Amino acid sequence: MIHPLLVSASAPPPIDSPTIQYGDLSPLLVVAAVALLGVMVEAFAPRALRFTIQTALAIGGIVVALAATVWVGLGLDRASGDVLARGRVVAEGAVAVDGPSVFMWGLVLLFALVSMLLFAERRLEGGLSAFTGQAAAPPGSAMEREAVEHRIEHTEVFPLAMFALVGMMLFPAANDLLTMFVALEVLSLPLYLLCGLARRRRLLSQESAMKYFLLGAFSSAFFAYGIALVYGFAGGFGLGDIDQAVSNRIDGQNLLLAGIALMAVGVMFKVGAVPFHAWTPDVYQGAPTAVTAFMAAGTKVAAFGAMLRLFFVAFGGASWDWRPMFWVVAILTMVVGAVAAVTQSDVKRMLAYSSIAHAGFILVGVTGAFVGTRDASVTSVSSVLFYLTVYGFSTIGAFAIVTIVRDASGETTQLSRWAGLGRESPLVAGAFALFMLAFAGIPLTSGFIGKWAVFSAAWSGGAWPLVVVAVLASVVAASFYVRVIVTMFFTEPTGEGPSVAVPSMATTAVIVVAVVVTVLLGVVPGPVLDLAQSAGAFVR
Amino acid sequence: MTAPTDLLLATEQAPDALAPVAASGVFVLIAVMILVPLVSSALLVLGDGPRFDLADKRGHLLGTAASLASFVIGVVLFVTLLGRDAGDRSIEQNLFAWIHVGGFQVDMTFLYDPLSALFVLLITGVGTLIHVYSIGYMEHDPRRRRFFGFLNLFIAAMLTLVLAGDYLVLFLGWEGVGLASYLLIGFWQHKQSAAVAAKKAFVVNRVGDVGLALAIMLMFAQLGTTSFVGVAEGIEQVSSGTATALGLLLLLGACGKSAQVPLQSWLLDAMEGPTPVSALIHAATMVTAGVYLVVRSNFIYEGTEAARTAVVVVGLVTLIAGAWIGCAKDDIKKALAGSTMSQIGYMMLAAGLGPAGYAYAIFHLITHGFFKANMFLGAGSVMHGMDDEVDMRRYGGLARLMPLTFGTFAMGYLAIIGFPGFSGFFSKDRIIEAAFAENVFVGIAAALGAGVTAFYMTRLMIMTFLSSRRWKENAHPHESPAVMTAPLVVLAVASVLGGFLVLGGWISDWLTPVTGYETHELAVPAWVFSVGITVLVAIGVAVAWATYGRRDVPSTAPEKVSFVTRAGRRDLYGDAVNEAVLMRPGDQATRGLAVFDRIGVDGAVRAVTGGIGATSSLLRRAQTGFVRSYSLTIFGGALIVLVAVLAVNLA
Amino acid sequence: MTDHYITLSLLLFTIGAVGVLVRRNAIVVFMCVELMLNATNLAFVTFARAHGNLDGQIAAFLVMVVAAAEVVVGLAIIVSIFRTRRSASVDDASLLKY
Repeated sequence: MIHPLLVSASAPPPIDSPTIQYGDLSPLLVVAAVALLGVMVEAFAPRALRFTIQTALAIGGIVVALAATVWVGLGLDRASGDVLARGRVVAEGAVAVDGPSVFMWGLVLLFALVSMLLFAERRLEGGLSAFTGQAAAPPGSAMEREAVEHRIEHTEVFPLAMFALVGMMLFPAANDLLTMFVALEVLSLPLYLLCGLARRRRLLSQESAMKYFLLGAFSSAFFAYGIALVYGFAGGFGLGDIDQAVSNRIDGQNLLLAGIALMAVGVMFKVGAVPFHAWTPDVYQGAPTAVTAFMAAGTKVAAFGAMLRLFFVAFGGASWDWRPMFWVVAILTMVVGAVAAVTQSDVKRMLAYSSIAHAGFILVGVTGAFVGTRDASVTSVSSVLFYLTVYGFSTIGAFAIVTIVRDASGETTQLSRWAGLGRESPLVAGAFALFMLAFAGIPLTSGFIGKWAVFSAAWSGGAWPLVVVAVLASVVAASFYVRVIVTMFFTEPTGEGPSVAVPSMATTAVIVVAVVVTVLLGVVPGPVLDLAQSAGAFVR
Repeated sequence: MTAPTDLLLATEQAPDALAPVAASGVFVLIAVMILVPLVSSALLVLGDGPRFDLADKRGHLLGTAASLASFVIGVVLFVTLLGRDAGDRSIEQNLFAWIHVGGFQVDMTFLYDPLSALFVLLITGVGTLIHVYSIGYMEHDPRRRRFFGFLNLFIAAMLTLVLAGDYLVLFLGWEGVGLASYLLIGFWQHKQSAAVAAKKAFVVNRVGDVGLALAIMLMFAQLGTTSFVGVAEGIEQVSSGTATALGLLLLLGACGKSAQVPLQSWLLDAMEGPTPVSALIHAATMVTAGVYLVVRSNFIYEGTEAARTAVVVVGLVTLIAGAWIGCAKDDIKKALAGSTMSQIGYMMLAAGLGPAGYAYAIFHLITHGFFKANMFLGAGSVMHGMDDEVDMRRYGGLARLMPLTFGTFAMGYLAIIGFPGFSGFFSKDRIIEAAFAENVFVGIAAALGAGVTAFYMTRLMIMTFLSSRRWKENAHPHESPAVMTAPLVVLAVASVLGGFLVLGGWISDWLTPVTGYETHELAVPAWVFSVGITVLVAIGVAVAWATYGRRDVPSTAPEKVSFVTRAGRRDLYGDAVNEAVLMRPGDQATRGLAVFDRIGVDGAVRAVTGGIGATSSLLRRAQTGFVRSYSLTIFGGALIVLVAVLAVNLA
Repeated sequence: MTDHYITLSLLLFTIGAVGVLVRRNAIVVFMCVELMLNATNLAFVTFARAHGNLDGQIAAFLVMVVAAAEVVVGLAIIVSIFRTRRSASVDDASLLKY
């Protein structure tokens, strides 16, 4: 490599413009464009029309992006020199458009689509969205009352969510560490803001935003420092370069290992693995429920995608170094998540701990690091992809139901107040019970197939003790899922029972979709499992 | 292969007979034979409620008609079969693939061959007669419609059992008759004793069913198929140990269904059911299913001397035990039940003798079906006239008041004791002859059994129909209506004439394609045996006459009796043995397990849940709400991760 | 020489991390995070120099951009919470717990 300073000034070399494969990147670009357009709408569209325009823009943009994703997915070629991987590295090595990327794009886009429907719900708050009208106004102030009176709404939530979506799509597809870091921030920053925008219980909402922000910034500093150390070891940012350096094992071993550890902190914070989970319950509880749904489903996909790519592609050669650490974290995550959930009294917090436990189950699949053989056995990557699909839909469905169980002060998240819900509204309680059963991994629901997939991948990868722990943790987890069902159906309501508000078509559609997917993936998981399987491996 | 009738002296095997031809022509009616009573049963059992008045009034006619229809089809098929060559008399009807999983396939197959044909005639023929009889016997029962529904269910299940072409289909029928038997024994479930007896029959039969089920599983494991044809073909390849295991397991199943020692205890209690049930199920048909199973599985027993010996021993022991019990009982139905056990013991014994005995086992089974059904129905007729009194010590002198019942019963009596010319004479003689040919001691025991049979049957005759009147005060014995006596007459005729099936060796010729046949070499001419056995029978009759005919019979059972009598009255302590060997240890074990469950398992579960709850509360407290403490966990976590990664490398 | 720079960078990073743990004022906590990011920048630049390529320096720029974006978002959140509570102490905001 020629040192730049040595290039003589007399003969300036021509500057080649970078090649960008716009076609391959079209889903990302569409979403980014929609986000920017949303900002423009905020600036120029009349206030009365903004909500409609923003909703239509967001949903339309996602649908177009989904179509583009399908188109990109169908056009993926088999990568040279690899039996499983399909796709290629584009944008000068910054983004890898391969099977897992496209699968996860489709997945986060679908999650975003249903989440946007939740964002657009206005009937539950009497014609206003669940987001505060004036984020700048302190709760209870005259300014806030004025905002309510004039029916002011923060329609910025849509572009913010779109920006987060760009981050979620870029994070698992990033093929160099810098892009990954930027994607991480693009994904996180809008979410910090969205967390603080709840219309009701704003103190909790703001607190959750602050906690999420401070801890997120703290952990991304670790991530950034990890990148610096890995760069110091490898001398480059490309995952392929790092892979080569790791395989060759030039000196500076400790630099690499410290870098791996610190980067692990960053992604494990995002997936909510123990001991980096402390933010999860507080943020899930405090954030507006629609945001919690979006975040719980989308962030998990993005973060696990990035984790898989980072550790399988860049650090694949050092797997013997990081796998023991993953064992520890996976066990801690499953056990702490499942056990701590047992005594939760708030539905949203309970779901948060459940998401921690599920992060542990997915980590089991990751830790198995089973790259598969030529025959059709389930690989770590495909099992994790399937689990994320399953978990995401059930989670969004569960949070959607949380938004419609209400009393005079808004959502009723106290679990004890859910007693008797089965009598009040058998359909809603039945749907929630279905999601609980799916989380518990009961056969004939999607959760069972998901657990089976990750556990079998881990088993094939030789991590059978982990599978044993996972099964035990599942048993503990099942106990609190069943407790919710018992509360809803077999407990007498105390005082005035809960009431189920009638939502608009949007929320209803979300719940119906979640129920259908949960049942369908439990009964006929084949097609989606095959799709995850054909997503294959990462390109290098 | 045709079975030449002039080759009886040679050993005949019948492998080719198990290459059945597909059902065509009238033989498509095989399944209809089962379907008709099944549908009728469903209509009768399910057609409940006020809108089904008609079913209550006319249901019994539908049930009887269904049974009759099956009988008519049975006769038509039988005649058609008679017209075929001996080699073509095996017809298979394949309805549909019942179970098809991986390499395991079970078709809903029915096999109609000479053996099944005889059974079909027996089941539907005797069954129809008993249906007719029941019209009168159950006339005053409010649940008569249901009773006929259960009887039809039994007919359908029993036909499935004998027509099955696959062990698993047979098992379906096997469990079906078990169910029907349970329902009918407990038909008067308001009586505690009936409910208990039904439960006992069910439980004891389960023990036998386990044997059959294991045998079927073993077939699948070893041969990959459970069809008769497949097993017959494959059985030659398996080890003799497997064949013996199969034989013994099937024998266990047969013991349960046929009330053979050691699973005999339920049959005597089963007499709690209505008498037509005792006649049809617990004398003529269902209890002979075990014999059918052994004969049908002849290809399995062919390869295993040990299992055959076990069959002989079981048969012999039961033969003696049943006769013994029959001598001691005062309850007319229980005396007959003991006799049933004993006679099935004869059949079992014959079946254990291999090809030399199969045909005679079936022959005796059929004649026994006639005369025992006849006598049970006769007993029912007596009970009908005596206000449901069953104690023979309260009978006496009924011959004059119930002439028809007495006359028909006498035909059955002469048949069972083997009076020359009556059916039992032929069938029992052949078995005893074959037993002598096999082993002298077995022969002697079987012959002595015949003498004992004569004793207890004569005792029963004398105490019931002859001797002095020992009725209770308000008893008004009377002859039963025609609808009940007509079947008695038909069965009495059959009891007399049934023996002619053996003339010219017809029965063995007929069954040779299925079971094979071999003659036995006897040291002395056959007539010597006949004379010897007849003499033994005469001695038995004489002893009974001396004991009961010449003296007055006390109207209450004497208390001071020999151990032999006491043991017989208590069913040879069968229940006591079960209780001591199985029930008490079982009770202890379950009690122990319950304690272990409560303290060990529940305790562990409670401790674990308690532990989890406590840990959970602790973890919950750790979530302090302070963002700085969260940062600390992240920081600490980062250190842990760092150390974990570096430590691995250093190690 | 590289070692010295890296040692300094590590020191700064650790000071920043400890600052996050011990300081109560949200603004200061946030500044400590920024300190950690600056330590990262120092490491990037040092390694760029050591490897003799420009990638690390570009990374430093990107980290600065990200830090600036974080400031925008972070200050917005902190200010809004300060307006509500009249306090910037992170310990006061502890309603969400258990």
